[in-house]
Amino acid sequence: MQLSGFYFPPGSARQTEAVLRLTADGKYLEICDGSGTILASAPRRRVAVTSRLGGIRRKVEMPDGALFETADNDGVDTLLKGHSGALARLERSWRLAALSLLAIAGSATLFILYGVPACAEWLARKTPPSASRIIADQTLKAMDGKLLLPSTLASQRQQQIQSRFALVAGWEGHHYELLLRNAPHIGPNAFALPDGRITMTDQLVLMAKSDVELDGVLAHEMSHVNHDHGLRSVYQASLVPAAIAFITGDASQFAQMTVLLPAILLQSAYSRKFEQQADDDAAALLRRHGEDSAALAGFLERMELKTCGKAGCGPSWLGSHPVTSARAARLRRAPAP
Amino acid sequence: MDTRPLAAPQTPAASVRNTMRFEGSAGEYFKIWIVNIALTIVTLGIFSAWAKVRSKRYFYGNTYVGTHAFDYHAAPLRILLGRAIAFGFLLAYSLTAAISPRLIGFWYLLFLAALPWLIKSSLRFAARNTSYRNVRFDFHGTYWGACKAFILWQMLAVITLLSMLPFAHRARDYYNINNHSFGQAAFNATIPVGKLYKYYGLALLAILGALAILAALTGGTMNIFKPDNPLIMTARIATVIFGAIAFWGAPAYLGALTFNLALNRTQLGSDFKFESRLSPVRMTWILISNALLTLITLGLMYPWARVRRARYMAECITVIGPADIDAFQSLPVPSGNAIGEEVASFFDIDFGL
Repeated sequence: MQLSGFYFPPGSARQTEAVLRLTADGKYLEICDGSGTILASAPRRRVAVTSRLGGIRRKVEMPDGALFETADNDGVDTLLKGHSGALARLERSWRLAALSLLAIAGSATLFILYGVPACAEWLARKTPPSASRIIADQTLKAMDGKLLLPSTLASQRQQQIQSRFALVAGWEGHHYELLLRNAPHIGPNAFALPDGRITMTDQLVLMAKSDVELDGVLAHEMSHVNHDHGLRSVYQASLVPAAIAFITGDASQFAQMTVLLPAILLQSAYSRKFEQQADDDAAALLRRHGEDSAALAGFLERMELKTCGKAGCGPSWLGSHPVTSARAARLRRAPAP
Repeated sequence: MDTRPLAAPQTPAASVRNTMRFEGSAGEYFKIWIVNIALTIVTLGIFSAWAKVRSKRYFYGNTYVGTHAFDYHAAPLRILLGRAIAFGFLLAYSLTAAISPRLIGFWYLLFLAALPWLIKSSLRFAARNTSYRNVRFDFHGTYWGACKAFILWQMLAVITLLSMLPFAHRARDYYNINNHSFGQAAFNATIPVGKLYKYYGLALLAILGALAILAALTGGTMNIFKPDNPLIMTARIATVIFGAIAFWGAPAYLGALTFNLALNRTQLGSDFKFESRLSPVRMTWILISNALLTLITLGLMYPWARVRRARYMAECITVIGPADIDAFQSLPVPSGNAIGEEVASFFDIDFGL
């Protein structure tokens, strides 16, 4: 059996029509021209053959750089059995393509639902407290003086809130610290830093109708601290794009555009999960200590009304928090303790 | 095909026009692509280097000039090494960004210093691993050359309030094209900067026009509707889409024009010329609709989009030269450094052409 194709001398673009064949003992490969003259010959084991891929031509390269090129893919597979392309067979089957698609969708779902959160949780657990402290310091340093100004609440009111906080914080085993800040650009808000510091804005304090509402907010932020939510979102934010880039290996502008949006949506989905857990924890904590978790629900609704008006704050799949009405309903639903 | 021998006695050989062809198919590539991604996942990412080589081989091997196609020879193991290093950098970078944004400046400095090296080694790796008819391409650009073309010229363009931008563009094209060679023949481009000024002027006008329309759209809606009107949401979404098309489309349009210009003024050795007839409108449409379709289908249409682009670009490029290219010879060269290419492609550096 022989294959027909083109012969190129070592490093040369000069092409000759030629055939490739095995010698009678099967140990040597020969390239011959039309008249039967041997143009090149080499032991079969020292010849490099490109793997089969789609319909592209196969190259058989001699040790000295001489090349034989042929479109006869089946012929190459028959003549040089050791080089038959197992991968190409996989790549030819529509059934396998469909199976791959299912497997990819399945593993991507598993990775997103369990892999990333588990990885981030593990990393957060392994992060030493000193590192959490540095991250918190950096965040505060970036915001203090610009977005966060010293609190303008009366010092008596501040002390009142602090002692109330000491009481609520005592319900849980962690170390927390409450920072009160005036934040005209941020508005009513509260956030937890990874090292247990909780920042609450004057604007939020002023919106609260009762201290029970503030207890709810504090309990919510304490839950973020307890579960390392801050660190975990940092890790999740790094893991998702890194994994996508690593798997696709194609971080061109085109790929980035198409990857960016799903990554943002995922990040918000993870964040909504954390918020829900913090709400649930807060409700449970308040109830355990004889307080009403519905107060937090009412407070959230008032906050939304103030910041977004009657129409609400936009679709839930975009938000970092679940829809307020759903959060409120969940907080009011009082399961048996 | 114009194969008439020219009458002039000093012309030694007849000139042949060979329009490039892309002979791959979206269906065939889809299967290759999806199976390779599945294998990449099964091997926890290790196979990605092999997948990349197969993808490149598929596109090179289906791009024909005359009777022969290009070939891609990179060794997956080298790509894997480069990719692992790039991945480490990316991880460190994004952790720094999250943990202490103030330190990010250090990364940018490091990146800036490494950029010319990344560009140089990535272009060289790509060139040395590309062949046509058993002859390899090569790239001879230096660190300093890349530094001038990609950093100093760009800085000068910024300092002069973008008025030197076409010169900066040309410097990039020159670095890219004039350092390439095929066998013993060198590529050589002579680009008239006046044309570049014209194209950049057009692009600037298009962006200004888009800005004006955007301002009218947003300004108008803000005043007409109350904030809770659902119409304002629709208008905002329309604005975002329009803005994306305008700001994304203008560079694509400009890219096609300058690509044509550069290739039409490029010679290989003394005998070969190139002709590029990309339609800027069509190219822009292909790029934008490709991205949207890929996004909407969660990536499923990516192979189709890639094949569509490769096919269109191939059919717009013609190589003109003697029918006989037998004289091309290549000397064996080491195949370059994959680390540069991988780090570069991870951080998405655009090389111009």
